[in-house]
Amino acid sequence: MEKLERREVILMAGGAVAGAAVGTVFSGAPFLGLQWLVEWTQDQHVPAPGEESYLQGKCLLCPSACPISVRMIGNRAVKVETANNGCYRPQLAIQMLYHPERLKSPLKRAGKKGSGKFAPVSWEEAIKDIAAKIDELRSGGKAAEIAAINGAGAFASAEVLKRLVKSAGSPNVYSEPCYSSLSAAASGLTQGQSASIYYDFENADFILSFGARLVEGWGGDPGRMNRAFVDWKRRGARYVQIDTVCTRSASAADRWVPLNAGTETVLALGIANQLIAMGRRSAGANFAQWSQIVINDYTPERVAEITGVGVDAIKEIAAEFARARNPIAVAGRGASAVSSSSVEFAAIQALNSMVGSLGRRGGVMLADYSGLGDVALNAQAAKGLDDFIKNGSAGLLFINDANPVHRSVYGKTLADKMKKDGMVVALMPLLNDSAAYADYVLPTISSIEGEPIEARFKSMHPVDALLSIAGAVKGLENALPWKSFKDVYPLIGRLNLRGAGNFAFPVGLLKDYLAGFAKKIGDKKYPLALVPVEAPMVGDGDGMALPYVLKGLDGLTLTGSKLWVMMNPDTAKQEGVSEGSRIDIESSRGEIGSVKVHITKTVAPGAVAIPLGFGHEFYTKYAGDKGVNAKEIMSDDIDPISGAADWWFTRVKIS
Amino acid sequence: MSGHVAPKKKVSDMKRLWGMAIDLDKCTGCGACQVACSQENNMPIFDDDSDLPKRVVFLDLMKVTNDNDRDAKFGDVKVAYLPKMCMQCAGNDPDDPQPPCVSVCPVVATDVGDDGVVSQIWSRCIGCRYCQASCPYEARVFNWWKPRYEGSFKEGLNPDVSIASRGTVVKCTFCSHIWKRERDRLIAKGVTDINAVQYTPACVAACPTGAMVFGDLKDPQSPVYEEKLKRDPRAVRLVHSIDALRDTNPAEYERRTKIKNYPNPKVWYLTSDQWLREKLSGFKKS
Repeated sequence: MEKLERREVILMAGGAVAGAAVGTVFSGAPFLGLQWLVEWTQDQHVPAPGEESYLQGKCLLCPSACPISVRMIGNRAVKVETANNGCYRPQLAIQMLYHPERLKSPLKRAGKKGSGKFAPVSWEEAIKDIAAKIDELRSGGKAAEIAAINGAGAFASAEVLKRLVKSAGSPNVYSEPCYSSLSAAASGLTQGQSASIYYDFENADFILSFGARLVEGWGGDPGRMNRAFVDWKRRGARYVQIDTVCTRSASAADRWVPLNAGTETVLALGIANQLIAMGRRSAGANFAQWSQIVINDYTPERVAEITGVGVDAIKEIAAEFARARNPIAVAGRGASAVSSSSVEFAAIQALNSMVGSLGRRGGVMLADYSGLGDVALNAQAAKGLDDFIKNGSAGLLFINDANPVHRSVYGKTLADKMKKDGMVVALMPLLNDSAAYADYVLPTISSIEGEPIEARFKSMHPVDALLSIAGAVKGLENALPWKSFKDVYPLIGRLNLRGAGNFAFPVGLLKDYLAGFAKKIGDKKYPLALVPVEAPMVGDGDGMALPYVLKGLDGLTLTGSKLWVMMNPDTAKQEGVSEGSRIDIESSRGEIGSVKVHITKTVAPGAVAIPLGFGHEFYTKYAGDKGVNAKEIMSDDIDPISGAADWWFTRVKIS
Repeated sequence: MSGHVAPKKKVSDMKRLWGMAIDLDKCTGCGACQVACSQENNMPIFDDDSDLPKRVVFLDLMKVTNDNDRDAKFGDVKVAYLPKMCMQCAGNDPDDPQPPCVSVCPVVATDVGDDGVVSQIWSRCIGCRYCQASCPYEARVFNWWKPRYEGSFKEGLNPDVSIASRGTVVKCTFCSHIWKRERDRLIAKGVTDINAVQYTPACVAACPTGAMVFGDLKDPQSPVYEEKLKRDPRAVRLVHSIDALRDTNPAEYERRTKIKNYPNPKVWYLTSDQWLREKLSGFKKS
């Protein structure tokens, strides 16, 4: 072996040290270390200081218009203060106001429809183009091809858009199905007046809710329901909640009546049977035929078998309901998202009719809000939004503060039609799943902008945007004479209550419905029932764009991109799944998955409870890649009266 | 003289002792308290705040159910929501309050003020996380990542609450910065009596059903008068089964309250559901 010189050893050692030094430098470690040092030692972002002030305004998210006070630092809004009278929604206003994905100017499609690629344009160009399209359709005799979809929460802009489209000569104005539109369709059927059903929660003393999750955002005005709920406790009104899932409404109620999925109508008929047995009658038309069906086919024993509610419980509820001074039976299953068939509304309203609660204080009335006046047209509109999506088409479609691609069970159909059909104009503050298919997206303001906060960027109040469009169309100048949203607000949103009118029992429809129901529950191929639940603040999907809403999701709602569904231990055992299992859910419409299973006794046997509002395809990065959209496989049977899909109860199997 | 030195008597003009009571029967789980808290206290906004291990919140809206009880059946189970924040433990010595977290902090980043609020000074924290380990309520959060606020979300930040560095522990302080704001307002009006200052934390102000109330535990007029809460059969404190011994075994109760790190929280929960009281307090009536 060659002997190493001392000099060589030193050189080798020196070379190793130099190599290591060069290697360390090129590995990037010192730079990363420096970056860490900077982050550790330097202070974080410091909020800009400024003079404190408070701006007073009204929350314009619903017709209640609760007063709000906004804390300002300089010209920055930092907090919405409420006076314990509202709901959670004003608290989210700052997140919406300063959302980094807020649209900064009107957008024009720059790629294929649905690709979500847009280029900024000026308001003038967008309005000119949209107005030209309206002119083109009207002069070509195709005015009826103008259509509009309003979000359930849009009320001022919905009235203006309705007026705009109808004045242009089209009857095709639809609202995303919600409690007020569904109950209005039902009262059109049973009471001959298309006005939504108004329950006098403030004066009722026995509230029997058929799956209407009253304290979870139900009815479009959570503030009113919160106040009523506290008042019930104070004055001892009794609240009974009928529900398939032990929701917070069910637990907060004085009594929870658990029942099998989708059997609310049958339970209502069972209670009617008992009311008849107690000698209660209704003066409504066709009551004799209705009561024949109820007496012969819906004995407590049979109803108990179908609904899973015990015979004694049915008798007790009926007795309590009949005994109460001001009882009301509440229809409209759901929380933020509501889905009930018109027959179900009728079957529940029949109970109110039999105890004399219709049209009286502490009972049930009909309500509408003052609007901008209707325009008489000869043309016939579709029955409702889902009916329109399925059977209709549009040369020009307005989507105002709505997300039917995500929320309707016909969302995919609508997306396909928007890809092929004419122009689509979306009005909203953030791009959503539906706006991705638009030709023009017009940026609108969030709920506290306009008043009291100045509008950000080039966004406009949707009413102002629509008035500008109307102003640019030949012949519509006089139809919408207002200058700004400030002129419109005083005219709309005033609650107009009236008596319930004469009640007519829809016997034929009931028979059809019950035949369909029997077929549905007898489906052996799909042995389970899919029922919706809602996570706090997510509702039916709008909340998902806001980080502070995501902070409220627990680990049994969403982990990573995986959504959790809930199943009863008995069902889980029968299906061979355990806690945390990944499953796919399949209905006759298709399959969604995978989702994880949480096993809990809060869900009825035979049911799978799935949260709504997840699985957005295009709705800011915060909502992206989170869970699946249950509406994709939910039942698409269209109600013959409301024209909305009755998606609440879907037969499914899991794999 | 013997070696024992009596603890120094607290000398302060502050007469108030802030506390909170939450009526869970009135709570609908709407989430307003959580959002209001996040907005008021500059909670970080990460790319994905649904990511639980990364999440930083002062107020956690927990869903509680009794569905895991062996004899629970579908139809009998219940669900409740529990807004959980720092319980502002008082310890057992009013003159030298030593809640579990305060007694372990090596750098006095957390301490108990004259008004009973357990403070936390982000910039003083060295990130040892002893306090987090000692907290019985998991009310403290560690900033594993630098708090971020993407783009224009920075516009909504509150200048009254400083933004923490990475590697520090943060927690709810009963919005004590709002108390300071109210104090300054009164001083500007010429009122210098410290006990005249009243305030409401963001979560309580936002509660739509009035389920959350806040006030002075020592004031008989206040909705959270402690002597009244102690006698209220609906009231419990979180993981605090000692309270149940007060009537059944006073001697044992006395002994346990003397133990070091007896938490003695200043947040009370009220509910008429026995299962929920048992679940929250950790004490089950046999």
